[in-house]
Amino acid sequence: MRVKVDPQEAAREFTEFSRRMQAGRELLEKTKDRDVQIATTPKREVWRQDKTVLYHYTPSAKQTVKTPVLVVYGLVGRYTMADLQEDRSLVRNLLAQGVDLYVVDWGTPTRSDRWLTLEDYIDGYIDECVDFIRAKHGIDKVSLLGICEGGVFTTCYAARQSAKVKSLTLTITPIDFHAGSKDAPLHHGLIGLWARSMSHADVDRLIEANGNLPGELMSFVFSMMTPVNALTKYNLGLFDVMDDEKKLLNFLRMEKWLADRPDHPGEAAKQWLKDLYQDNQLVKGEFKLGGRKVDLRKITMPVLNVFAEEDHIIPPRSSQALKPLIGTKDYTELPLPGGHVGVFVSGKSQGILGKNIYGWLKAHS
Amino acid sequence: MKGFEQGNDWLKFWSENQKSLFQTWVEGKPPPFAFRGEAPPAGDAMKQAAQMSDLIRSSMEQWAAFAKDAWSPAGRIDMESMKKLFDPDERKRAGSHFDMGLERLTEGPAYATLWDLDRKMLSVQKLWMERAQDVEQYWELMQGAWGRALERFMKSVNDPKGEPIKTGRQMLDLWLATANKSLVEMHRSGAFLEAQRKMTRSSTEYRLAEREIAEAFCEMHHIPTRTEMDEMQRVMTELRREIRALKKKDPAPGGASEVAPARAASPRKRKSPSKKKK
Repeated sequence: MRVKVDPQEAAREFTEFSRRMQAGRELLEKTKDRDVQIATTPKREVWRQDKTVLYHYTPSAKQTVKTPVLVVYGLVGRYTMADLQEDRSLVRNLLAQGVDLYVVDWGTPTRSDRWLTLEDYIDGYIDECVDFIRAKHGIDKVSLLGICEGGVFTTCYAARQSAKVKSLTLTITPIDFHAGSKDAPLHHGLIGLWARSMSHADVDRLIEANGNLPGELMSFVFSMMTPVNALTKYNLGLFDVMDDEKKLLNFLRMEKWLADRPDHPGEAAKQWLKDLYQDNQLVKGEFKLGGRKVDLRKITMPVLNVFAEEDHIIPPRSSQALKPLIGTKDYTELPLPGGHVGVFVSGKSQGILGKNIYGWLKAHS
Repeated sequence: MKGFEQGNDWLKFWSENQKSLFQTWVEGKPPPFAFRGEAPPAGDAMKQAAQMSDLIRSSMEQWAAFAKDAWSPAGRIDMESMKKLFDPDERKRAGSHFDMGLERLTEGPAYATLWDLDRKMLSVQKLWMERAQDVEQYWELMQGAWGRALERFMKSVNDPKGEPIKTGRQMLDLWLATANKSLVEMHRSGAFLEAQRKMTRSSTEYRLAEREIAEAFCEMHHIPTRTEMDEMQRVMTELRREIRALKKKDPAPGGASEVAPARAASPRKRKSPSKKKK
């Protein structure tokens, strides 16, 4: 029997538990919703179509990078992850160094958006945003910064509209949807396993019944990767941070972002799950948008590919698969410590991510 | 509660309506609605009605026999059958009398819209049972994983070679780490993925069958159905797509389409079509 509890140690532990509970209760009582704000960097709406809104961030420093950058997040989650809080914000980091930044917000899709396809997002809305920025600045090309599914969108866009793209920065982006490593921890790559456990017909019927891919379902699938954390975060997880205001607010901001998971428009979700996750068409050169194959060799602009070494959602190999497929030799990989979301929000990666992206953008502007 | 009452009234109305229509056919009476145009010769119509009446009567007898046979092998409601009917364990097993009864009823002969709603309701009931079975199987796997976690935890706690556990928190952390490993292992297993797939699919099929009944209610009460709304939205999306493509071909003066003019800076370089012509 390994249990050798010292009565004095147990009493000390109980006292500490009581103290933390008391301090935490007081802190929680005084914490209001207004204290837990995310995506607070000033920006203004400059263009809108349907539910898609293009925002322009207010510059906070003299512009040092010539070409404006358009940040594109995916439909699984929200762009606010790149601007979670003042001291953990890729957006603020880049603005502070003189990058002119735009971000596209897909809004909150409802059942009425079930027929939107990836073509609508990539060839439609992104192209409209790029054209708007080009027209506003009187330039031919815009730099793109894609995050996760948004990275796939920008990759496809860059392959189809290379004349309009100055440079392509990808972060935590899946390219080979079947890539993984036998040595990876058990919880890595579970999303792919889940997606491939369904048949095409299962996906079609799921979307037919719900209209869209429900955000709650995706949250549930994500929680399967860290099941005990999902079960204990509002008791044990909260208890661990509840007596420290800074930690508590960080925890609550992250939860606010996690809870705000919109539904993924149905037809686009079918393409995402069937064509990409199940059939892995992008890496095979078989992925079609609007009846035309997406030819990754047409990506001829400089590419920066940032991935997280401990990413349990997009394994590093999935992102790294891009290198041999594209038509440029100006390709840079930036592996960063941390997990899928940690790369953007952890204290450890804050300086590294913004600094490296800025340096690369400046050199390729 | 009002919604349920309305639903009951509607079901009653539907049922009465179907019954009276069926009765008129069985008895060979003229239909309760007027024929338009010239009426068919009386003799032929009577002969056809009689044939139809025989056909329906014989198939209803067969149908009733099927149901009796499926629900109770002895042809009567006995205690054993009733027990089986309401025993949740019975529902988990495929091919029970209850399942077979429902299957035969739902796959019985169809006469256009006659008994259509009843058929849909039986179908929903059958799908609900399938869903319940799949949920049950899913939870059985989950319980198995928790059981394995507990077994591993106890083994670890009793391992004399392990590091001593000195605090309650250390004990809790060991339990959570053990449970997490067991659950993730289970989440990756083929059995779990298949159980989850089946549960998702049967829930989906149940929801779709439920929608059919809701849509019958909507049609009865002149309310647009989900399918009609979806179809309308599909047309809207296609029209928006076409408008976007047209605007791209021939951009309006002012540049990118649907710019929020009050807030957006006006584009500098884009030329309007009229300027191009000049």
